[in-house]
Amino acid sequence: MSGLFLSNCNKTTTPKTGTIKISFRNLVGTQPILLDSSIFSNKFGEKYSITQLKYYISNICLINDKGKVTEKESYHLINQSLPASLSFTFTVEENSFSSIQFLIGVDSLRNVSGAQSGALDPLNDMFWTWNSGYVMAKMEGVSPQSNQVGRKIAYHIGGFTGVNSVLKTVQLDFPIGKKLLVEQGKINEINLEADLNLWWQHTNNIKITELPVCTTPGEMAKKIAENYSAMFSIKEIVNN
Amino acid sequence: MKTKILILTIVIFGGITILFDACKKSDEHAISSGYHPTYLTFKIPAGWPTPPIDIFKNNPLTEEGFQLGKKLFYDGRLSKDGNFPCASCHQQFAAFSTYDHQFSHGFNNSFTFRNAPPLFNLAWMKEMHWDGGINHIEVQPLAPITDITEMAENIENLLKKLSIDTAYHRMFAAAFGDTTINSQRMLKALSQFMGSIQSFNSKYDQVKRGEASFTVAEQNGYTTFKAKCNSCHTEPLFTDNSFRNNGLSIDPFLKDIGRMRITGKSSDSLVFKVPSLRNIQYTGPYMHDGRIFSLLQVVSYYQTGIDITQTTLDPLLKNRLSFTNQEKVDLIEFLLTLTDDVLLHDNRLSQSK
Repeated sequence: MSGLFLSNCNKTTTPKTGTIKISFRNLVGTQPILLDSSIFSNKFGEKYSITQLKYYISNICLINDKGKVTEKESYHLINQSLPASLSFTFTVEENSFSSIQFLIGVDSLRNVSGAQSGALDPLNDMFWTWNSGYVMAKMEGVSPQSNQVGRKIAYHIGGFTGVNSVLKTVQLDFPIGKKLLVEQGKINEINLEADLNLWWQHTNNIKITELPVCTTPGEMAKKIAENYSAMFSIKEIVNN
Repeated sequence: MKTKILILTIVIFGGITILFDACKKSDEHAISSGYHPTYLTFKIPAGWPTPPIDIFKNNPLTEEGFQLGKKLFYDGRLSKDGNFPCASCHQQFAAFSTYDHQFSHGFNNSFTFRNAPPLFNLAWMKEMHWDGGINHIEVQPLAPITDITEMAENIENLLKKLSIDTAYHRMFAAAFGDTTINSQRMLKALSQFMGSIQSFNSKYDQVKRGEASFTVAEQNGYTTFKAKCNSCHTEPLFTDNSFRNNGLSIDPFLKDIGRMRITGKSSDSLVFKVPSLRNIQYTGPYMHDGRIFSLLQVVSYYQTGIDITQTTLDPLLKNRLSFTNQEKVDLIEFLLTLTDDVLLHDNRLSQSK
């Protein structure tokens, strides 16, 4: 981990730090998600509801024209059923930033480093026990278009090595003229939205009729990951 | 910097010569609360290769961690119904494999999918399982614990069961500095125990150390071994820890495709881990599905049984192997010198009374 300091930091004085709060709002189009009840329609007119939605956000960096600052031990599990998981805070030195970058998933090193804790605890049911590695993003639900038992749909997207890697780095620039100004004693907010309908269609077409289940690394998992890598956008930057 | 000074202090005052570059946070936290584990040194036998990774780098080996791992290994509560501790399939008298069983028995009268491998010298094993699906010793226990044909438990339940036992509170504190019981600590303790199971005291090892000598038959068998077996079952581990197809036909019921299940590559179809031959006297039945019941049958398999039409067959076996009957008998005499009675009877590895 490169730590929180930019290269020109002065190590002899205690740096002034401010707090960053990052929030995720998961939507389908503009509709909020009520697990088990909201019914959505993808671009192919296929209806579905969502029973479970989790994804890892890791290696968060804030970027300006001089470089970037990386959150230490940056691993977060966004879990739609746990409201407290949808936002988190960390501190950085006073500075201004124009973009945010993060990884969707868990970097390959942590996939091969043995027993982990916190967001990476296998207790979170996001770790494959028979084929070591994290499920980077998981969506489960029900769709009348599914040919599976209980009309279930299940997408457990993982794979961290070589051609099977589904790891996606996302960089989002803040709106023009809207910098994040970190100041001591203040909490700055980055509010992100994720449009889940992009799981089905972005660069690849994924139809529930053809692929109601994808729970192993490989070509289809990669296609879904390519799709969902575009689902995030900046809703607003708040300099309090 | 503060952490480094504290660690250094431990090294100096603890008189410990080897420092694992690890666990800085928990050490720092623990020192203030009077946490003084007894650090152990993992010994690599003279002349052996260096393990591919240091499995104790982020999990410093301590007497307290080892003892906790041992208690967990023998504790049936790690399974759903209490009947299947790790040790039910990994029996010390069988070099921590399942003695005389093609498949092991698991929860709800089920058979396992593959033959239970023995456990020793795991520090040299980069991937676990016959298909290499497990990439680190610390996450290995998650597979049998959660598999519905093995221990069939989930981690949350398991931790709840451990947390109502005050002996565990005491042992987790002794091993890790406070009474917190979580999956990471449980897995690290199990790794300390499993990783400490070593086999390097067979007659073969004694011969290598000049403490014993082979009989004529054993010596002849060793010569045959070096000529025909050693390229995969490489000394001193008696495996090169690679994955190969040794030409077994696919079982029509199990349909086990081996490593392809993990990598998705057709070139890994019917490819399995090369097992160690150490303690082979007690690790049968043999092969990933335990289909061969005697050592003589195994040797004969390599002479006449290999399906040489398989496209992924290891090139070293494309002409099968040839043995005279005398060579077979002597080879088996040699293989029996790989039995490590110290391991099989080491009280330190046995369930605490």
